[in-house]
Amino acid sequence: MSKTIGLGNRLRYPITIVELLKGPGETIKKQEVLMRYSFKWMKEVGDTIRGNTWQEEQTTIADWASPTDGELRKWHIKNGELITKDGPCFVVKEACSHEIQFQGLCAICGKDMTEVNWAAEARDTDRAPISMVHDQTNLTVSQFQATRAENDLQRRLLQQRKLSLVVDLDQTIIHACIDPTVAEWQRDPSNPNHESVKAVQRFQLDDGPRGVTQGCWYFIKMRPGLEQFLAHVSELFELHVYTMGTRAYAQAVARIVDPEQKLFGNRVISRDENGNMYAKSLQRLFPVSTNMVLIIDDRADVWPRNKPNLIKVSPYDFFRGIGDINSSFLPKRQDALAPDAAAVTNGDSNPKPKAGRTAEASKASATETPASAGDEVDPELTQRQLEEQERTLEKQIKDRPLQLLQEKLDKEDEEAEKASTQSENNQEAPRSSPPLVRHQVLVDDDRELEFLEQHLTLLHKTYYEEYDRQRASQRGNRDAELVTPDVGQLLDSLKSRALRGLRILLTGLVPTNVDIFQSEIGQRVLAFGADLRTDVSRELTHVVVNSQRPWTKKLKRAARYPNIKIVNQGWLTACFSQWDVVDETTYLFHVHPDIPAAERLLASGGGADTETDASEADDTDGNAEVRPRGRILRLKRPKLKLVSASGETRTLDDGEESDDEDEGEVADADDLLPDEFEDGQLSPIDTLKTFNWGSADEELDEFLAGVSDDDDDDDDDDDDDEDEQDEDGANEIGKDEDKDEDASETTDSEAKRRAKRRTTPTRKRKRKPDESGASGADTGTESEGPASDENGNVPKKLRRAKSAPGTSSLRNQYDISDSSLPTPADEDDASSQPKLLAARTQGAAEDGGDDGLDDIDEAELEADFMAEFEADGSGPQGEGLGVGKPGDGGDTDKG
Amino acid sequence: MFFLHNLERRVTLHPSYFGRNMHELVTTKLVKDVEGTCVGDYYIIAIMDTFDVSEGRILPGSGLAEFTVGYRAVVWRPFKGEVVDGITYSVNQHGFFAQVGPLRLFVSAHLMPDEMQWDANATPPQFTNNADMVIEPGTHIRAKVIGLRTEVGQMWAIGSINGDFLGCLQA
Repeated sequence: MSKTIGLGNRLRYPITIVELLKGPGETIKKQEVLMRYSFKWMKEVGDTIRGNTWQEEQTTIADWASPTDGELRKWHIKNGELITKDGPCFVVKEACSHEIQFQGLCAICGKDMTEVNWAAEARDTDRAPISMVHDQTNLTVSQFQATRAENDLQRRLLQQRKLSLVVDLDQTIIHACIDPTVAEWQRDPSNPNHESVKAVQRFQLDDGPRGVTQGCWYFIKMRPGLEQFLAHVSELFELHVYTMGTRAYAQAVARIVDPEQKLFGNRVISRDENGNMYAKSLQRLFPVSTNMVLIIDDRADVWPRNKPNLIKVSPYDFFRGIGDINSSFLPKRQDALAPDAAAVTNGDSNPKPKAGRTAEASKASATETPASAGDEVDPELTQRQLEEQERTLEKQIKDRPLQLLQEKLDKEDEEAEKASTQSENNQEAPRSSPPLVRHQVLVDDDRELEFLEQHLTLLHKTYYEEYDRQRASQRGNRDAELVTPDVGQLLDSLKSRALRGLRILLTGLVPTNVDIFQSEIGQRVLAFGADLRTDVSRELTHVVVNSQRPWTKKLKRAARYPNIKIVNQGWLTACFSQWDVVDETTYLFHVHPDIPAAERLLASGGGADTETDASEADDTDGNAEVRPRGRILRLKRPKLKLVSASGETRTLDDGEESDDEDEGEVADADDLLPDEFEDGQLSPIDTLKTFNWGSADEELDEFLAGVSDDDDDDDDDDDDDEDEQDEDGANEIGKDEDKDEDASETTDSEAKRRAKRRTTPTRKRKRKPDESGASGADTGTESEGPASDENGNVPKKLRRAKSAPGTSSLRNQYDISDSSLPTPADEDDASSQPKLLAARTQGAAEDGGDDGLDDIDEAELEADFMAEFEADGSGPQGEGLGVGKPGDGGDTDKG
Repeated sequence: MFFLHNLERRVTLHPSYFGRNMHELVTTKLVKDVEGTCVGDYYIIAIMDTFDVSEGRILPGSGLAEFTVGYRAVVWRPFKGEVVDGITYSVNQHGFFAQVGPLRLFVSAHLMPDEMQWDANATPPQFTNNADMVIEPGTHIRAKVIGLRTEVGQMWAIGSINGDFLGCLQA
């Protein structure tokens, strides 16, 4: 192979070629003089002591030596030529291009590459900079060799219709720990974990860390279904192991996972060969093209350069709280999703102690490492981290976190047992208590590999379909053989279909100072094709809540939209692992503590559509748009009261006892007022302050002209004023509450206005359903508890939505919103009888026009009305209760 | 190539060992320190005997006794062109690694007979000529050293199996 050699930039240009000493065809040796050249320079001459000096031009002739061995082919320069800058000098056919080097030796000619040579500008070791062999770092190859080797590999894979798959070990396909408790559990059949740890394999490392951990047993649990997974996947992929453990560890694990070396062969790379303690890189194995390579790993942050090829799997956490025993070199795990996803999904069946997680967290923080150390490995730091790892391992052996967990769990079980026997005694139940079953710490319920296998199969299929298509279109073109589709792109496009169309808001999952679009979880949401939103709006489909830190402001606001599904992060994890929109039911975040969220979803499911219909109808008028939304918010406020802040405490307080329900309700309503202000502050109706109500009213007049009379218009004005006040109040904490009380105090004027309203027949008709809904809610609370209260609210919403397409949606909403004013249930109740009748007829009239939803709605209405009737029967008491309570609450608050 | 080589080394002994069998201790320590090491461009394989243990000299400051020991050792110095036997321990598409006693040797795919081909599909991956020669981890090979490099305490070699009687050894 011929190579053109340049003159080099060390010469004192301009130079003149004096003489060429060798001719083409002659053999040249390194450092042998090939030509002479001359250059001119200025020399200082004269008497330097007296300062009597001057410059004099000198001409010097110098030798130019060959930087390389070989056969001279052709000169690019000729005698007498003046050369002003660096350029090609001659062409040489090198005896050896030193393209494969082993520890400073050329593996082809056996020459020492480390010899420093004054004639050459670049060192010979730089000719082969790429290390691409799994188990050796001292074997390096040139770019050309690497490309050739990789082309060979790709050709072979294409022939076998395979792809490469790089597999991580720890927490991806296995979970390892060195807690000796496992061995004890394995020996003890009576231990609840015996069944789980039976399949745990173990090995000893002789070159492991010294100290306490020397000669300790490593316990390896394979992820469920691993054998089958690998067997299937290895038919479609060539498997590589890439781990941050030591080489000995990697090989020991590979022996367990793949005893016959059929799956991984010798394609195992560990941190010893990685050349970087902090990051993995596909370029280490596939330096030229990663078109045919996929990665499965439980951590995305260790693959800074290869995110497109990465399929992130949820970490396998079998030995709870142990984490990754080889992670002390890696930056701290940052994905908020991972750690407690499992605990959330099956939290109902097994109470999982949090101790594990905190232990892990403390360990992680203890082993905090600088993330961006780059390729320069600071030996001191490495040493420190090695010690760190030793310490954590020692801690694991000494502290036995698993045993602690189990002990804790046992204790909990005991307490639960005690509690249950106690309650049984109280109830004097005849059945004997069930035999004491100890819960186990180690539960093996992971299904990740199933989904992973599906994804990989799908990807493989898609890849080769794409490849065949490209081949077909490029038939006849021989060079096109190695044009391979990029599996990373395919992966992206497949992934981006998974959650397409969803509009997701994350709350409580990313620290506030981190840009959500830069955060790992945010990027994953985007990668899966979902739309990531930062603000609550009606278009949202899902709100993902951190179940550890619920009740963020966003959640409270999102809770007002019944069409938004509020789920915990487990749902997102499940979606990520299944590449599909997972059924939300098991992941729903319990917004209302007393109502199972699933029920809430069902109940509001119908309302969602109609509500959006209604609001869309509203939105036809640009100016009026804001107002109805404000109404919607206000409408739902009563529900929110039950939902928010004190929710947690209430779940504890009034679980089953129906007696105390009422007081609880009222107390809650009072407690919750401050939250309401917060909502008001955040809500979009803030903009209403600057809204020109006059013009809106004019528009309204026009709009409503056909249906309403003057009275109604007055009414609307009143409402608007109230609204404005409300918004003002919302801006100052505490003011809103005052106003509520004011309202209840000034019931007289209110009453007059209402009386006036009631004289208008249209008005009455529209108020009715709402009224009945509200009072139905009241009675419901008294008789059945908060669940029925919730039901009472839902039909209200439906009704509003239903009547929307009728005459005037705006008006309807105003009417309804009146009932949500803290004022005066009394007059409403007094007039409820005639309204009820009217409502019935209205319901019947609308029945024909509306669809399936109505049936449910109708039934609920009916129930509400029945409740209303009953309440009316005991009229005075009911009223007294209804009015008295808020008043009392207000009084106590003031006092 | 193996040589019987006369060498000299200074051995220090801790004062707690001073006593009658001091010379024996010195020899033991020498063997422990020296055998199996790479010194310059040869390995010290085994110490035959010590023929001269000097008088001990107390080192000022530490109290250790220093003996100058003359000894005779079997040393192995690999030469370029030498034919050596080794055991393969790692094989990849660029060539294979073999352990020749203490020496690590790499044989590149360029330095194999043309009919030796890389077979990545085999388990484990191997070089084979589809006849009598299969090189995989554990195979005994005979190679000719064509390049050597030493660093402090370490040596590496490049080998070739391109030649008569080189390659796999039929056990």
